[in-house]
Amino acid sequence: MRICAVLRLVPDLVEELEVEENEVIPFRYMPNERDEHAVEEALILKEKTGAEVEVLGIADPDNEADIDEGLGMAAAKGADKLYKVILDRPSYKRAELAKALAEFLSDKNYDLILTGIQAIDSFAGNLGGMLAKNLGIPYIGGVVEVNISDGEVVVKKELGGGLLAEYRLSTPAVVSIVSAERPLKFVPFTKLRQAMKKAEIEEVELELPEFEGIEVVRYEVPPEPEITLIEGDVEEVADKLIEALKEISVL
Amino acid sequence: MDVEEMLETYFERIGEIPNSDRFIQCIQCGTCGGSCPYGMGTLFTPRRMILAVRAGIVDEVLSSGAQWLCTSCFTCSLRCPSQIPITDAIIPALRELSLLEGNPPEELAAALMNIARYGNSFRESPRKRDKWIKEVDFEVPLISKKKKAEYLFVTECFGAYHRRCKEITKAFAKVMHILGVDFAILGNEERCIGDLVRLCGEFGLFEDLVEKNIRVFEKYEFDKIVTHDAHAYNALLREYPKFGFEKEVVHHTQFLYNELEKLKELFGKLDYTVTYHDSCYVGRRNGIYEEPREVLKAIPGVKFVEMRRIKENALCCGGGGGGVWLDSFIKEHIKERPAESRVKEAASVGAEVLVTACTLDVPMFEDALKVTGLEGQLEVKDISEIVLEAIES
Ligand code: SF4
Ligand code: SF4
Repeated sequence: MRICAVLRLVPDLVEELEVEENEVIPFRYMPNERDEHAVEEALILKEKTGAEVEVLGIADPDNEADIDEGLGMAAAKGADKLYKVILDRPSYKRAELAKALAEFLSDKNYDLILTGIQAIDSFAGNLGGMLAKNLGIPYIGGVVEVNISDGEVVVKKELGGGLLAEYRLSTPAVVSIVSAERPLKFVPFTKLRQAMKKAEIEEVELELPEFEGIEVVRYEVPPEPEITLIEGDVEEVADKLIEALKEISVL
Repeated sequence: MDVEEMLETYFERIGEIPNSDRFIQCIQCGTCGGSCPYGMGTLFTPRRMILAVRAGIVDEVLSSGAQWLCTSCFTCSLRCPSQIPITDAIIPALRELSLLEGNPPEELAAALMNIARYGNSFRESPRKRDKWIKEVDFEVPLISKKKKAEYLFVTECFGAYHRRCKEITKAFAKVMHILGVDFAILGNEERCIGDLVRLCGEFGLFEDLVEKNIRVFEKYEFDKIVTHDAHAYNALLREYPKFGFEKEVVHHTQFLYNELEKLKELFGKLDYTVTYHDSCYVGRRNGIYEEPREVLKAIPGVKFVEMRRIKENALCCGGGGGGVWLDSFIKEHIKERPAESRVKEAASVGAEVLVTACTLDVPMFEDALKVTGLEGQLEVKDISEIVLEAIES
């Protein structure tokens, strides 16, 4: 079984974003957390079944260097092959990315393509679904566990309210992961640096198609939330809290 | 890793730490476990850890989680008749195996990853490290502007970002300001000094931090480093010289003691009964016992009382060695956390204020006050806060 996991970059929100009328300029980028879980789940599948795992890091000319650490991390955890896909320009339109990626993936013969269920910086989300549509293969999202049983792929999907359902998939298929079945594996600093040094990363340049139909009117910074610290002893805090809750009609 | 690889990695690591060859001299006396604040809650006390390594069942220690039930309080190391470096070698090297296996407690893993990425455990922007200087009514000089200072004041992560610990930083900076001391800070060029990272077994990250920090220190001219962070003090004093950085390092308790004659002239009267908690890396590890006591006793109106477990026998606050990132893990294993027992002890000797000299202590003890219901009866203050209060009263 051959698995591909997609690793996108998103703005690192610990650092302040520069927000201009028609542009958001992050200070730096970091791997999209849901995609990190997709990579983790792929590697868990490798442990369970001996599957081959290839990781596709997606970057653009603005953040090319920021993807290396995420790819190094995947290598340190046991990924078999790494790609660095450099798009010709940044885009928040996932439909464009889905189309370009589908073309790249069409002849790669992966049995499963895993993506994170969401990323914080896209207009429409759902890269997984659009990718599957472009490739003409099945898609399932909201997945928290992937297993191979009797040669078939069986996934656990969250239905909300704590309910889980199991589905059998035909392959190839695209699966979007909410979270891997165990916490992300920790990689010590030295191991990561060694992996980054050793890793052979194949660079691929991809041109994004241009999709019309959605245009930025303007970006805006939301107003700072008002935070009041309630201080005093337990009684005082309780009284003030009740007052505050009454004021906003919660009580 | 299989057990053989684990043992190989383990011995390779402890081989790099001074005096670890004493490992073979463990006489299985049990002094360590009997001294340990977690001795009752763990399957593997240091004695049994050593035994397990000897027996080649290191994997059993790792899966028990015992390597994380240690707050590096240094009691075992101080008391061990064979002088085995338990706190600096035996335990961190086991922790390293756990990190290599990829499954340390989650809170701790997150803290280490934040330090690697942002230079602080709080997941805060490194560009906001000096934000506290905008919250004080006097100028805190940046060394990048001043270029030269007698003292470089290292605030460390807790002192720079933690809501409560920042107050200690501000108080100590103000005392220096009032005394007219020639000091400056690194501001946003400062990053984690890394003592907890080392004690957690993340040796690679520690080395990276040391190298980066030394590069920054070397850019500027200063005579000494002063810090109120006990672990930063310990690392700068004991570990950084191994990497070629040799500057005098002063803990703020020593600084205050050295300035005591001047301070005495400034002190007004306070009306408290205080007791002093010997933080592990001020007292037991580095032998600073009398200086803070002398400072406290010099404040007019302060009644000084001692607790029962003092100086080298003082009880740990539970925050060191990564303990601040292991709170939920530790809670699962022991009934009463050391900080809770410690605040009860302070209250039992009639103290109204528990004075400490390590930034980690204050949030640990304040949390313990809430849990034990002693809030309102006992307060926790850093020594610089009480000194400032005496000056301002
Ligand atoms: S105190 Fe020292 S000699 Fe005694 S059991 Fe512990 S490690 Fe061994
Ligand atoms: S350093 Fe302290 S907490 Fe750690 S094992 Fe020794 S006595 Fe126990």
